[in-house]
Amino acid sequence: MIFSENFDVIVVGGGHAGTEAALAAARMGQKTLLLSHNIETLGQMSCNPSIGGIGKGHLVKEVDALGGAMAAAADEAGIQFRILNSSKGPAVRATRAQADRVLYRQAIRRRLENQPNLWLFQQAVDDLMLDGESITGVVTQLGLKFSARAVVLTAGTFLAGLAHVGLASFQAGRAGDPPSMSLALRLREMQLPAGRLKTGTPPRIDGRSIDYSAMMEQSSDTPLPVFSFLGNAAQHPRQMPCWITHTNVSTHEIIHGGLDRSPLFSGVIEGVGPRYCPSIEDKVVRFSTKESHQIFLEPEGLTTHEVYPNGISTSLPFDIQIKLVRSIKGLEKAHITRPGYAIEYDYFDPRGLKNSLETKAIRGLFFAGQVNGTTGYEEAAAQGLLAGINAALKTQDRDAWCPRRDEAYLGVLVDDLITRGVTEPYRMFTSRAEYRLQLREDNADLRLTEIGHRLGVVDDARWAAFDAKQQAVVHEQNRLHAVWFGPSTSSNSLPETDALRVLGKTIERDCSLHELLRRPDISYANLMTLPGAGKGVIDPLVAEQVEIQAKYQGYIKRQKDEIARNAHYEATPLPQDLDYTTLGGLSSEAQQKLNQHKPETAGQAARISGITPATISLLLVHAKRGFFSQKKKKVNESGDTAR
Amino acid sequence: MENTDIIAAIATPTGRGGIGVVRVSGKNLQTLAQRIIGYVPQARHATLSKFLDKNGCAIDQGIVLYFPSPHSYTGEDVLELQGHGGPAVMNLLLSCCISAGARLAQPGEFTLRAFLNSKLDLAQAESVADIIEASTTAAARCAMRSLQGEFSAAIHMLVQVLTNLRMVVEAVLDFPEEETGFFQEADVYSQLKTIQARLECVRLSARQGSLLREGMHVVLVGQPNVGKSTLMNRLVGQDVSIVTEIPGTTRDAIRQAIEIEGIPLYVIDTAGLHETDDAVEKIGIARTRSTIEKADLVLLVMDSRLDGVAPMDRIILDSLPAELPVIHVHNKIDLLDEFSRVTKKEDRMEIYLSAKTGVGMELLRTKLLEVVGWQSTSGEEGIFMARHRHLLALTEAGAHLDNATRLAERASQLELLAEELRLAQRSLSSITGEFSADDLLGRIFSSFCIGK
Ligand SMILES: Cc1cc2nc3c(=O)[nH]c(=O)nc-3n(C[C@H](O)[C@H](O)[C@H](O)COP(=O)(O)OP(=O)(O)OC[C@H]3O[C@@H](n4cnc5c(N)ncnc54)[C@H](O)[C@@H]3O)c2cc1C
Ligand SMILES: Nc1nc2c(ncn2[C@@H]2O[C@H](COP(=O)(O)OP(=O)(O)OP(=O)(O)O)[C@@H](O)[C@H]2O)c(=O)[nH]1
Ligand SMILES: [Mg+2]
Repeated sequence: MIFSENFDVIVVGGGHAGTEAALAAARMGQKTLLLSHNIETLGQMSCNPSIGGIGKGHLVKEVDALGGAMAAAADEAGIQFRILNSSKGPAVRATRAQADRVLYRQAIRRRLENQPNLWLFQQAVDDLMLDGESITGVVTQLGLKFSARAVVLTAGTFLAGLAHVGLASFQAGRAGDPPSMSLALRLREMQLPAGRLKTGTPPRIDGRSIDYSAMMEQSSDTPLPVFSFLGNAAQHPRQMPCWITHTNVSTHEIIHGGLDRSPLFSGVIEGVGPRYCPSIEDKVVRFSTKESHQIFLEPEGLTTHEVYPNGISTSLPFDIQIKLVRSIKGLEKAHITRPGYAIEYDYFDPRGLKNSLETKAIRGLFFAGQVNGTTGYEEAAAQGLLAGINAALKTQDRDAWCPRRDEAYLGVLVDDLITRGVTEPYRMFTSRAEYRLQLREDNADLRLTEIGHRLGVVDDARWAAFDAKQQAVVHEQNRLHAVWFGPSTSSNSLPETDALRVLGKTIERDCSLHELLRRPDISYANLMTLPGAGKGVIDPLVAEQVEIQAKYQGYIKRQKDEIARNAHYEATPLPQDLDYTTLGGLSSEAQQKLNQHKPETAGQAARISGITPATISLLLVHAKRGFFSQKKKKVNESGDTAR
Repeated sequence: MENTDIIAAIATPTGRGGIGVVRVSGKNLQTLAQRIIGYVPQARHATLSKFLDKNGCAIDQGIVLYFPSPHSYTGEDVLELQGHGGPAVMNLLLSCCISAGARLAQPGEFTLRAFLNSKLDLAQAESVADIIEASTTAAARCAMRSLQGEFSAAIHMLVQVLTNLRMVVEAVLDFPEEETGFFQEADVYSQLKTIQARLECVRLSARQGSLLREGMHVVLVGQPNVGKSTLMNRLVGQDVSIVTEIPGTTRDAIRQAIEIEGIPLYVIDTAGLHETDDAVEKIGIARTRSTIEKADLVLLVMDSRLDGVAPMDRIILDSLPAELPVIHVHNKIDLLDEFSRVTKKEDRMEIYLSAKTGVGMELLRTKLLEVVGWQSTSGEEGIFMARHRHLLALTEAGAHLDNATRLAERASQLELLAEELRLAQRSLSSITGEFSADDLLGRIFSSFCIGK
């Protein structure tokens, strides 16, 4: 049956990618349908109950700056909030929240249900409808046909999902959910380049069977951190602590005893797992000299006793899981509520994507989330948001928005994926961002909210709040530039005691407040205690922004110069239908790589591993000359006719 | 969208004593001109001026030509500094331009810019591509040769220590929840000091010339008695190799450092190549072969009275890598009463001279300089330039390490230190090849047990 209504955008999958995609497209005014296996599991956290962390928190703030749901939902669901790296500098500072699963799901669901232009429908999608190389819609399990001009696929770990516990395995999308077999098969038939990856999760434990007395407690930070730029700590529910314990030598012996029945070590699992999120058996084998590994016991919520033991993800047989858990201090009597498992699933080589996340092969089909080879809720949400935006733009006949590496972690994420592909599930780290110093959590709104407003994903309330903050920052910066202090002989000199107290020395030449703020050891708050410094701003976010921008001015300028130097590469488009073997002067290695990647710009080409600056120079020459005019006759007027 | 960075390079193949030109191109050169000559010169006028280093001290004096955009070779602002052509001075001048904000041009980059700015006919695209390709291959070859021996070992050691330090610092930043105690803050400081000391060592020996010489070997080969040792002594300026009229005098390769126009080289005299049953001679000939493997330039010495390349020479020549430059030296022209001269036969340089009287030695020196140390007439970079590139990268890395050390001293925020270390490594990667964020993460994951 053909469903009577047409949609602009259909989103397949209601995980973190799918929900952000659907919300974004609908915010932009496009008639959007979210199709998912199960409405009850919209916004479900498949694995650990936490949002954020280093690099990931940065993504969450960016999603928020663009009007996304993740940060706000975390504020409503977070039961433990911390700021990581607070002493190491603002760029690497990141927010992390432990979330109540149920509250989180509800927060997401409420937003979906109340979003204008968004329709929800519970059905598994089994097939895609194509017209030539363009998408026209999807077909569900019941044979229902839904038409749309753009489709965003966010099937997560569900495509041909295969779960393993010991040597037993079963088909699943994740524990408790069915896999997507038919769709996986259809996608493979369409010759989209696919591969297998693997991830895993630990057994869950009944908190009533845990002895916390011997463990270290870890509570929320004070003041309570907040995720969303529009959020506040009063939204947070009751806070709960996490607990820290450790594995020991006997745990490791038990693990060794079970390796012969490990799907990982016996070769049953083909998919590649993440190196940074290894299973406990992996850690014990690879770092055999380490006698103990840290485990965080994280509460799954306010209304459940279930606890998530972060650090012992495993696919060992269940009898070994029980023994290994019970060998750990405080878990001697632990009751396991759900076994740990590993899951293998299909992903698609992200080098087959444009940087809008549209597939190069099928027009109007976008991929986001775990299907692109990433892992993590935040990575999924960020891609979902971007794919949703670009699917909407496509149906509005507007150009795609592709954030650059110097603009957002979102840009780094997508660029890494499409230029380098993945060899293991991709997770964000701050070390992946060469412009790290300017891609901070604190300025995600300054970087993106205006863009989001233009795109139509940022609503008026957020825009107004942002605008007010930005104006306050500029106003205060101007004021700091205008207030001057002179040496002791001058009329605007500082009392010596104050100078020594705040600045550590007296002033020798005329200095503005702004210059003083740039000095490494002088904080904004302290500076404002100087007589004559004026009132200063009260809003801590404004003060923070003024201070960070002043302190990092030199570094940021240097990065900006570098960005400007490379900008022309990013602005040089490369044709998608070019056969690079026809270009003279390129090495055959370069030709092969370029043919495989079909980069969209010279900038992207430069980031493909093994592509040298000389190759890029040659591409610039060919671009200037017009790639396809190779065999055309000589142009007589000198050069200016080039595109 | 235009390029905004400023590029500089030595633009002339300098012979001895002539003038040399450093050419600079960029979107806006006024600030750079201010720094190098103290003012912005008048457009398209030759002006005599002092060239200043970064402390404002004059390093040379010469003619300045300024071509503002768009009426210049590249279409950008172009500044030409003509100084006394010695390589040493030219390098100094180039270094000044770089500390004043330019970067060393990539091979073929001036031409590329000219083309991109529509200064060259579209039809010339192919030749532009060829120039880029040819000069890149040449540069890559020289870079490879530059990276030999001690220099390479020192650089790799340096990169390794730096990578280790970065690995720890980045792990601390990206994995704060790990208990591994990756490092003590104090450690960073002492490690930085070690790296700096190593870098200083490399740079110091570079300044003393020994490093520049490292890897640049001029090897004299030929039949016995053609006059290799005599030629060697001439080049060196003293009798370091024994000369007799007995064929087979030289048994062991003799190595001696020389300088031509400030460019240091090693000259190596070898045992004459011929069939022999003499055990000692055999060993000597075997050594000659292994010496040739390290050569950057081979001088095939012949007796001009005899009939060119001997069969034994031919065997050697044929075994040389195709890109290794060879100069044929026809010695003993005094016995034929001929003039010294240079000819080119099938792209190969032939020099006629007399080692004994010294006639033609100047010619040989000039050609040596051209092929081995300096730019060749074809505009390709020589090894000396490649090495110079490497040293500039070291200097740049050194500056970032200095910043890093200052940050560590102040115990300031770790992310700034990490940034300086990243930049230092990026500078070095122009020598050692790309080191991506993913490579770094790979190191972290294989060294530390990370992840929950
Ligand atoms: C066992 C396990 C362990 C994990 N461990 C970690 C970890 O340690 N660290 C970490 O960062 N991340 C981990 N993850 C990954 C994390 O859960 C995902 O990265 C994240 O949820 C991906 O979001 P997504 O939106 O791409 O997909 P998902 O959250 O998987 O959502 C997919 C959605 O698509 C729907 N769907 C799928 N197929 C169809 C279809 N054909 N028709 C309709 N709807 C469909 C599903 O019902 C679901 O709603 C783990 C996941 C699993 C399952
Ligand atoms: N007339 C003349 N004699 C020369 C010239 N160069 C070298 N000789 C003479 O040639 C003889 C051999 O010179 P060497 O320099 O020892 O020759 P070689 O090539 O080193 O010989 P082996 O070490 O035996 O391989 C000596 O008697 C030199 O004086 C020259 O340019 N003119
Ligand atoms: Mg000899």
